[in-house]
Amino acid sequence: MRKLLIDIYYVWREEIKVVFRDPAVILFFLVVPVFYPLVYTSFYNNEVMRDVKVVVVDDSRSSLSREFVRKVDATPDVKIVGCATDMQDAQKAMWRGDAYSILYIPSEFSKNLHTFKQTRVQAYSEIRSMLLYKALPLAVTDVSLDIGANIRVEDVGHGSQKQDESSMQGVVSEWIPFYNTTNGFASFLIPAVLILIIQQTLILGIGTLVGTHNDRKTFTIASHAHIGKSINSVRLTLGKGLAYSLVYIVVSVWVLRVAPYLFHLPQIGEPMTVAVFLMPFLLASTFFAMTLSYFVSQREFAFLLLAFTSILFIFLSGISWPWTSMPPALKAIAALIPSTPAIHGFVKINTMGASFEEVWPEYLQLWVQAVVYFILAVFMYKWWIRNYDPQYEGKLPEKE
Amino acid sequence: MQSGILAVALREIKRIAVSKICIWGIIVVPMLSTVILVYMMSAGLPQKIPIAVVDQDNTSTTRALVRQLDAFPKTDIKFKSLSFREARLRMERFEVYAILSIPKDFTRDAVSGQQPKLVYYTNNAFFASGNLLFQDLKTISVLASASVGLKTALAKGFSEIQVMPVLQPITIDSHVVGNPWVNYSICLNTSLLPSILQLIILIFTVSAFGSEVKSRLGSELMRIGNNNIVSVIIGKMLPYTILYLLVSLVFMSVLFYYGDFPLKTGFFPMFLAYLCLILGSQGLGLVLTAVFQNYRMGLSIASLLGMLSFSITGFSFPVEAMHASLQALSYIFPMRHFFLIYVNQALDGFPIGYVAYHFVALLGFALLGLLVFPRIRSFLEFDYEE
Repeated sequence: MRKLLIDIYYVWREEIKVVFRDPAVILFFLVVPVFYPLVYTSFYNNEVMRDVKVVVVDDSRSSLSREFVRKVDATPDVKIVGCATDMQDAQKAMWRGDAYSILYIPSEFSKNLHTFKQTRVQAYSEIRSMLLYKALPLAVTDVSLDIGANIRVEDVGHGSQKQDESSMQGVVSEWIPFYNTTNGFASFLIPAVLILIIQQTLILGIGTLVGTHNDRKTFTIASHAHIGKSINSVRLTLGKGLAYSLVYIVVSVWVLRVAPYLFHLPQIGEPMTVAVFLMPFLLASTFFAMTLSYFVSQREFAFLLLAFTSILFIFLSGISWPWTSMPPALKAIAALIPSTPAIHGFVKINTMGASFEEVWPEYLQLWVQAVVYFILAVFMYKWWIRNYDPQYEGKLPEKE
Repeated sequence: MQSGILAVALREIKRIAVSKICIWGIIVVPMLSTVILVYMMSAGLPQKIPIAVVDQDNTSTTRALVRQLDAFPKTDIKFKSLSFREARLRMERFEVYAILSIPKDFTRDAVSGQQPKLVYYTNNAFFASGNLLFQDLKTISVLASASVGLKTALAKGFSEIQVMPVLQPITIDSHVVGNPWVNYSICLNTSLLPSILQLIILIFTVSAFGSEVKSRLGSELMRIGNNNIVSVIIGKMLPYTILYLLVSLVFMSVLFYYGDFPLKTGFFPMFLAYLCLILGSQGLGLVLTAVFQNYRMGLSIASLLGMLSFSITGFSFPVEAMHASLQALSYIFPMRHFFLIYVNQALDGFPIGYVAYHFVALLGFALLGLLVFPRIRSFLEFDYEE
């Protein structure tokens, strides 16, 4: 037992040295995790799309229609950039990219409203992004409910103040967006991205280390230990895995605690709960990365692995396309990736303030993954020693 | 031994054919991504997102309201008899994504003009489900208000014909140009897949030259190309260009033909856009190779740019909402120009002249690649050192 621990300690110590001796690995383990959260958050930091450019075609040209347009312009999401004389003119503004939406008010707008008839306004929107198209319809809906309520009071006749309020709106309603109260984009996406950054930089760094061994054909992979000692793949995997995980405990503090704090993202979870939840994630993603590094037969291939898995992993995590609506086959694939339960759990704790009870399923899943990927990583190293280091079988030769 | 542009191209084809990483990266990865992403979003809009209703009134009126809400395709009422505390706990466990709370005495207050209040809570830690459920819940509360208004108006002696204009004096026709179903797959996959392609092109353009230098084949390559850098680079790039074009055709057929996504101006403008995207990205890849003159550094920057372009292209979060400096920065990514062409052509069907300069910009990236040929020559003739 003591020998086992000493062996693991030596592997761990040598691996830490290897990590800090390779500038590329320092870059991936430390520099990239420091800067990526800042870069990504700066993209999305405005949180919401305000002032979507709208051009108005007002065929009614009445005081009522002007009031309508003014009120639409006053909503935060929409900005009237101009009035066009007719639809062709307005469409040209859209062609030129001067506006993303057109609001059309028919000529009978005012007349109908004054004569107990319904009137119809038209909203045309472009949908280059999900966030752009709904600004105008939502703003117009709110304004038309508002103006409509006033008109209704005129129609049914005034009563007491309370009666008027009731005829304006029989039932009032309120929307309370939980957890991400501004309904912002960064607050929703960044927590997931942060977890993914941890997993993916681990893949990149460990892949680079393994690729370097491959490149140099030194295959000292099994030899970072006490001279003359035989190191089997279990100890090797444990020692190396602990070395990487340890570095990432420090990295996680920055990525998951400091970076969201700097950008005022939702952060209502207990730090201790996050820390406890993170442990199996760091182990699972370390061993996952060690398993994947099997495929990195050249130093440079780690990039490919990183680039191609990142997009798939974030979509498979169910943060964008809702997890509940995901086809079961993809859910099954996603369940194999440590980032999936980690993102779910981290969002629950960090963004939604859940207690440990609520993340129990994810926590368990991460431990299972940690064990399974540990076993796979051991096999990876076993295979490695057999194929590349048959002469010493993990022993470091005595110095001559 | 043969030499010249053709020899270089033939040599490259052989290199691609025996390289596992090329076959995986250029063919398997894009196909796999297509299958996964298109399959994931094949429903178009997320359907049947689970919610909970906390009905403290529980009269026939509120039950009718709840039934009406349940009939909306996006909403699936999973729990009807929870306390609010329980419902909130289920929200924290991701079992429901919204809660509609109907207060006690809702029906009585509504009929007597006391303006009862419906409150709905959405889980906006999940952006899509939160916003989709908001739409349904907002609609149901407007409907509730209208049905109360209807009863009041009838009681006040308005006729049925008169009632609708009174309830809703102004109605809205909302037209979404190009994608009236607000289909997620149309919004995302049409740009995600070309972004993946751009990433692949950037990485493999850098590695096409980097790998030669790494295995010290740079001088040999120059010899095969008759020491003419133009025939070396063109010969080396051409097989890739053709491969990428084939991949694009697969994308186009999956998206626009099998998926029946809008392709308003027909095949050729989009095909041209894909071609220009490929040439532009290859140009950018050459520039990165020439500027960094270092295989690993070039690859790092290529993957960095490729990854950033998923965000800065603006198909998820609009570029218009980003900081002005980022808006300017977005134009150094070929994908941004491709995206604007796609929106204008396939989605909106606007006249092509309005996006002509984005085609020019893409070709500009390709021309920029031509300018750095001498630098690539010195890179190839340089002895690689780790």
